Amino acid sequence: MAFEESVKAVGGIKFAVFSPSEVRKYSVVEVTAPETYDEDGMPVQGGLMDNRLGTLEPGQKCGTCGNTAARCPGHFGHVELAESVLHIAFVNNVNKLLLATCRACGRLTLSEEELDKYRAKLKEQNVFTPNLAEDIAKEIIAKAKKVKTCPHCDKVQYTIELTKPTIFHEITEDGGATRLLPVAIRERLERISDEDLNLLRYDPESARPEWFVLQVLPVPPVAVRPSITLESGIRSEDDLTHKIVDILRVNQRVRESKESGTPPLIVQDLVDLLQYHATTYFDNEVSGIPQAHHRSGRPLKTLSQRLKGKEGRFRGSLSGKRVDFSSRTVISPDPSLDIAEVGIPFEVAKKLTVSEKVSSWNMDKLKQMIINGPSEHPGANYIVRPDGVKIRLDYVSDRKTVADSLTPGFIVERHLIDGDIAIFNRQPSLHRMSVMAHYIRVLPYRTFRLHPAVCPPYNADFDGDEMNLHIPQSEEARAEALTLMRVQDQILSPRYGGPIIGAIRDFLTSAYLLTKEDTLLTKSMFTDLALSAKYKGPLPEPVVKEPEELYSGRQLFSLCMPKDFNYIMTSKWIQSQRRSEKDVVIKNGELISGVIDRAAIGAEEADSILHRIAKDYGHEQARHFLNSTLSMLKAYITRKGFSYGFDELELSDKARASITEELDKAYAQVKDLIAQYEAGTLPLTRGLSPEDILESLIVTELSRARDRAGRIADRNFPLNNAGVIMARTGARGSSLNIGQMTAALGQQSVRGERIHKGYHNRALSHYKPDDKSPASKGFVRSNYRDGLSPTEFFFHAMGGREGLVDTAVRTQQSGYMQRRLVNALEHIKVEYDLTVRDPDGNIIQFLYGEDGVDPAKSDHGKAVNVQRLVDTAAIFGTETKEKVDVEAVLKKYKGDLPPKLYETLKESFDASSLPKASVAKVVENTLDLLVKATVEPGEASGIVAAQSIGEPGTQMTLRTFHFAGVKEQDVTLGLPRLIELVDARKQPATPTMNVYLDKEHRASKESALEVAREILFTKVGNVVDYTAVEYGTGINLVLSKARIDERKTTTEDIAAIVKTGKRTVEVTGENTITVNLEGADLSALFALRNKLLNMRVKGIPGITRITVTKEDEEWFIQTSGSNLAKIIQIPGVDTARITTNNLFEIATTLGIEAARQALVNEIMGTLEEQGLEVDVRHIFLVADLMTSRGYIQQIGRHGIAGSKASVLARAAFEITVPTLADAAIRGEIEALKGVTENVIVGLPIPLGTGMIDVFMEG
Amino acid sequence: MPKKTEKKSTFNPTEHVYVPKHEIVSDKEKEEVVRKYNASPDQFPQILVSDPVVREIGAKPGDLIKVTRTSQTAGESIFYRFVVVD
Repeated sequence: MAFEESVKAVGGIKFAVFSPSEVRKYSVVEVTAPETYDEDGMPVQGGLMDNRLGTLEPGQKCGTCGNTAARCPGHFGHVELAESVLHIAFVNNVNKLLLATCRACGRLTLSEEELDKYRAKLKEQNVFTPNLAEDIAKEIIAKAKKVKTCPHCDKVQYTIELTKPTIFHEITEDGGATRLLPVAIRERLERISDEDLNLLRYDPESARPEWFVLQVLPVPPVAVRPSITLESGIRSEDDLTHKIVDILRVNQRVRESKESGTPPLIVQDLVDLLQYHATTYFDNEVSGIPQAHHRSGRPLKTLSQRLKGKEGRFRGSLSGKRVDFSSRTVISPDPSLDIAEVGIPFEVAKKLTVSEKVSSWNMDKLKQMIINGPSEHPGANYIVRPDGVKIRLDYVSDRKTVADSLTPGFIVERHLIDGDIAIFNRQPSLHRMSVMAHYIRVLPYRTFRLHPAVCPPYNADFDGDEMNLHIPQSEEARAEALTLMRVQDQILSPRYGGPIIGAIRDFLTSAYLLTKEDTLLTKSMFTDLALSAKYKGPLPEPVVKEPEELYSGRQLFSLCMPKDFNYIMTSKWIQSQRRSEKDVVIKNGELISGVIDRAAIGAEEADSILHRIAKDYGHEQARHFLNSTLSMLKAYITRKGFSYGFDELELSDKARASITEELDKAYAQVKDLIAQYEAGTLPLTRGLSPEDILESLIVTELSRARDRAGRIADRNFPLNNAGVIMARTGARGSSLNIGQMTAALGQQSVRGERIHKGYHNRALSHYKPDDKSPASKGFVRSNYRDGLSPTEFFFHAMGGREGLVDTAVRTQQSGYMQRRLVNALEHIKVEYDLTVRDPDGNIIQFLYGEDGVDPAKSDHGKAVNVQRLVDTAAIFGTETKEKVDVEAVLKKYKGDLPPKLYETLKESFDASSLPKASVAKVVENTLDLLVKATVEPGEASGIVAAQSIGEPGTQMTLRTFHFAGVKEQDVTLGLPRLIELVDARKQPATPTMNVYLDKEHRASKESALEVAREILFTKVGNVVDYTAVEYGTGINLVLSKARIDERKTTTEDIAAIVKTGKRTVEVTGENTITVNLEGADLSALFALRNKLLNMRVKGIPGITRITVTKEDEEWFIQTSGSNLAKIIQIPGVDTARITTNNLFEIATTLGIEAARQALVNEIMGTLEEQGLEVDVRHIFLVADLMTSRGYIQQIGRHGIAGSKASVLARAAFEITVPTLADAAIRGEIEALKGVTENVIVGLPIPLGTGMIDVFMEG
Repeated sequence: MPKKTEKKSTFNPTEHVYVPKHEIVSDKEKEEVVRKYNASPDQFPQILVSDPVVREIGAKPGDLIKVTRTSQTAGESIFYRFVVVD
């Protein structure tokens, strides 16, 4: 193989701008002819398809290097432009340079002293002024722009005006505009000195500004713009070729017209046309000029469009590579498989291969495979001889002879067989469990088969889902897959340190049915089921001996557990009855009492039996536990049978009657509320309009009624009702679902409100306008079983539609959030000293997660489950009466234990009565487990954190607003809030504060209100009842007595506030203030009135509403609107505890560390409110990263992702082309230290196993 | 306006529950910390001179601030930030 001659590794990539001479140097041909092929179909010499530019057809040889298409790298040509044109990517830079430099001498228009000052500042730039260079460059440009005469040559400076996209004018003193042609611009740019450019952060070595003006255009090799021949024999050229043809044509016309002495005006038009073509050649989406179109009318895809966006070169081709040895098909379930297996069709097994090296140990097996050939199953498709020649067995007629020639050293590409390793994946790959290694089982039929227990990590179901399968080809790849990616090693999710794989659906139903109190099994049934669990061992003593030997279901379940397993917990079944006793008791591997359900063996359930087995006995044991239990449960439910039908949804007449009664009562209640509203007697709450209050009261009333109806239904069903079993064991559905099927559907909503849109003032024409009754606004009192009325059905469809739209929008939003998170965090890893750093060595955390514990190896977030250790020790140890001096024992270990663990240990020991020896043993064990739970160096903690926050995003609601209680204010929650947080928005959508009060004010509602009145922003308009404007008398402000009192102010106060300037202010009545302005006309008076109404009376700007609430025996104020800096100055406020959800306010008034803490709290709170469990360590990492520069950085292009050191990583994220242009100007060097960069150039990524290198001495 | 400055001085950010303990690290210890983490000062996390807590404790650019956080996971955790110009 000739390629091996020069194996070189990419060390880095430097970005720069080509100078004209470089373009000419690298050019192999000057392209002059706008033609591509002549009549004979031969490429035109000096044309765009000149064979010196490389070759496309396999048979032809390149005119430059003599290689065929496969080996020729392609060669650049060039076009000599008849007139210079601007490069569109650098127009803004040209503009800035022209503005900042002298039109005559080319120096920066700042005095030498000033420039020296900047240079000196730059030289002494130390690490404690990180943004100095950037700031200086900006400052110089801003200053130089304004200079009128050059301090160096005393020439007058004119303003430069850029008419987008490419036309420059110089505005002379008399206001006249002179066009600056590219040639002139080039001359000016040439005069700028290298020294001055350095100050502006240019690298003149890499990019002299005059090179931004093109005199010569490189022509890319044909391989970049291949032409395609259609079946009809018609050649179709690439978009780029078309564009260069345009350039060449116009170029020729410009040259000819210049030579023939055409009037300059016409020549200028042609030059502008050339500029247009050159511009669209680089970027066909420039604003201000029309797009260039193909003959068919489709816009051309030129250079910029090729690089940009999802399908562009960076994201589509370089970051997303295509692979061989992969396969995709529909998936279906197979509970007979091992959870770590994947079933693949014979068809797939015969196409995908693994290469196996022939040795004396596998010779016979491989020989047989070769004889079987490509079409018979355990066969082979290729063999590779030791000399490197590959033989395709399809073309071998006598495979026997080939098989006989096999000697050690051959490589056989054999079919997949049972036990091979495969990588299985379902998109979207939101977390690392979306890609897992399975053992192969070759099976008949055409789908991939997987065990239902692994559906949760993949988020797979079988309604037509497809999945991908990859076969690792090297020993290293297989070893990595086997040690890191196998299903059993992924049982515990790094998101929350609990199992994500486990029993689902019917397995859970079956588990309940098997382990409930009265389940007895005959001996034959028992042994059969034990056999299906692959149990080998003695049978237990039957619980019933006469008349027949009977075993309990619990005995059967016990067979699957380790013999020394002890645990107690509460089952879902008991939880569903709102009880909390620990019913499940396992003693020495024996299930003594309690039912097994979701809480014990379910997926996504932490602190379950499954979790304990996985933690205490290891992954392999957990896999065996799952395999044996699940296949046994499957066998049991298959025999027993389980169904849910229409008759099981039937309620007793009594229950139906009481549901009707309940709903009628609610309807009456609502009617009463409406009557009160119409009479105006509805109790008013601060800051809400009567309509809003009525709405919220109705909504709560109706939702309570629905809940009550549902509860009646739920209570009516016996505990052996199939639906109840499924809901209560966590197998499927909820009691809400049962209620909706049998009692009432409840309120349908759109945008979180009762449905009111459709017709004018009513939702449907079946109701009267302004009808506020439950039925007219989408309350469905029917249930699914009885069926809905036509109007109900329609309302239901409206609500249902919103749900669908919501899901579609949510997946997009959370997908983009995930992309940004991953992009910001992908390169962050744990180093050998357990600090967390980016590849440039910038420290993000000094100890990962603040305790160095890997959440994936933690025990549901805790480093060590101390309580369990103590409990276990208590079982085996003897109790003592004497008090053990815990402190004394612990003291020895204090240095090795994190403070929190130390405390936990102490507390647990104090609560127990362990002898001294046991205490020491437990501490030893704790230390042992602590080491085991510690993160490993190289861990891609950044990616794991990003996934752990991004993945649950899909499960969040999009509902922006949430009514907390009846009259509380709206707060943004769920996904929009999470996005807002990682976006680091300056102002949250719903700013709010919790203002805690000092001792005197927190005691009573009245004293709290006192402070609240000082906080609430009050303007004159808030206390005015109405105004009257009269010419002559002026403005009469009639104040509302009630509102004045409510806001604790007086008419006099307001008069004093209003009185400023030349106004005459008079209190003319008890509640009336008259304001007049001498000589003002009516319109001026109206203007004045509006001004008056907006004047501040008291309170803090921004605070629009307040609610005084009581929590934990203390009163505090909740506000709408936030203004931390001002509120801390109000007397009575507890400045030590006040909080806001505006992080920027916290950063400016309390500092960056407080902002970090607030960020952690806010993200954690948002996730918890949605019932999603995420380990804090992930959130710590995100918060520490966002605050690492001392201010809050966004997760996105303007923050962390935009300030990455790597050019390629930035270009691959967003704003591709400007990033590359900028990198070229600065002469940046891509050091290839991060993740994206190395994916792009095809090198191993420096994380985990990829960061290990072998160093050899000598 | 003069009223504002007068009042401002009464507020101390370090008393707030969100604000962990910030201390200026002595030169000797600073050197040790920098050596311990085998990183140059510009690779450390930063805190702006304009940060209210930095102003409160009177730290200057180039100072190393030791932050003692109460940690949900470890109980207590140490973080360092170099004071930088913003």
